[in-house]
Amino acid sequence: MKSIEVFMVLLIVAVMTLIGNFVGANTPLLSAVPGMLALVAICMAGVLCAKFIPVRIPSVAYIVTIGCILTYPGFPGSALLSAWVQKVNFLALTTPILAYAGISLGKDLGMLKKTGWRIIVVSFVVFIGTYVGSAVIAQAVLKLIGEI
Amino acid sequence: MWDAIRNWKIHALVLALVVMAEWIGIHSFKVGIGTIVLLPMLYALMVGALLGPKFLKLANQKDMVDAGSLIGVTLMLLMARYGTLVGPNLPMILKTSPALILQEFGNLGTVLIGVPVAVFLGLKRETIGAAHSVSREPNVALIGDVYGLDTPEGQGVMGVYICGTVFGTIFYGLMATVTAALNIFHPLALGMASGVGSASMMTASVGSLSAMYPEIADKIQALGAASNMLSGLDGIYMSLWMALPLSEWLYKKTYKIKYGEFPEEPKYKGV
Repeated sequence: MKSIEVFMVLLIVAVMTLIGNFVGANTPLLSAVPGMLALVAICMAGVLCAKFIPVRIPSVAYIVTIGCILTYPGFPGSALLSAWVQKVNFLALTTPILAYAGISLGKDLGMLKKTGWRIIVVSFVVFIGTYVGSAVIAQAVLKLIGEI
Repeated sequence: MWDAIRNWKIHALVLALVVMAEWIGIHSFKVGIGTIVLLPMLYALMVGALLGPKFLKLANQKDMVDAGSLIGVTLMLLMARYGTLVGPNLPMILKTSPALILQEFGNLGTVLIGVPVAVFLGLKRETIGAAHSVSREPNVALIGDVYGLDTPEGQGVMGVYICGTVFGTIFYGLMATVTAALNIFHPLALGMASGVGSASMMTASVGSLSAMYPEIADKIQALGAASNMLSGLDGIYMSLWMALPLSEWLYKKTYKIKYGEFPEEPKYKGV
């Protein structure tokens, strides 16, 4: 996918998120704009890194890392950037994504019928297993090192 | 790609879904022991899935394919936001790193309860594919590599993969609220557990937890994101070296208990 295409999609989703942010979290439309532009810039930086750095690392890995470094306490401007992006409600960002995912899901509903009920039951057991397994260990270790 | 981007119909539909979902807003209500939190993303997902030709007929096959091709990019903004959540909390995350690393082994919990349940439901070799992990993209690739996807193992992993795609978000969102309401686990432990290697499942779980514990929401989100990244890094090795051998072993044991004889030896893809 071309970088300009990624940029277009990011802009579309950014506008939708701002609208959702306004409707849901009651954040004034303009106050979230700097944070949103910063997020778009971080994404593009990540996309360009993945394109021009000759190691095969996916762009999302760069994006998370860049966001992490720029907001690390002590990094120049980190406090300002954190304050900006905080205006972009985390949950508001998820809504457009799942709307796209939902529309695309329509085509998988038919496949579900072929899967059979046993696999569906096993799926739920599997989801519970990994979640509770991780939670038990996390709880025990966090207690042990005195974090909770 | 331009084709999908220029498909203004899907963007208009998404915008309508977003406004509708955010308008309804977050709702939580008590059910028995737990509090169920319903988030806007959940409404957007469910109503979105109903737009297809079988129900509301607002989206056709091409729209659904186009929407699917854009999901990867739409996730980027969320990933950038996750990065900015991890950054300020990095000192705290490093302090909790022993817990963060060790809880990765909790993913083997999948095998321990998944394999017996699958065998007792009557599944045969499908069990290995279905119960060795949460079956996200890397696991599908791994099973494809070890056994092939046109095998029973392949059918197992694809079944759970589809199921996770369809129900994963809803299930993780609700499971997080139910386990949190049990009051056994600290919300930070549940935040860590949310990182199962799927951004959407993690987000659903972390989102519900943040709505329940707004005062430590940023810590929960940071730990969820960090744990999810870790799962992304170690997931495939964990599956290959620990979860698959454990699944094979447990499959033999439980098969013997159910059928009174050992199963036939597994067939690996020709190497």
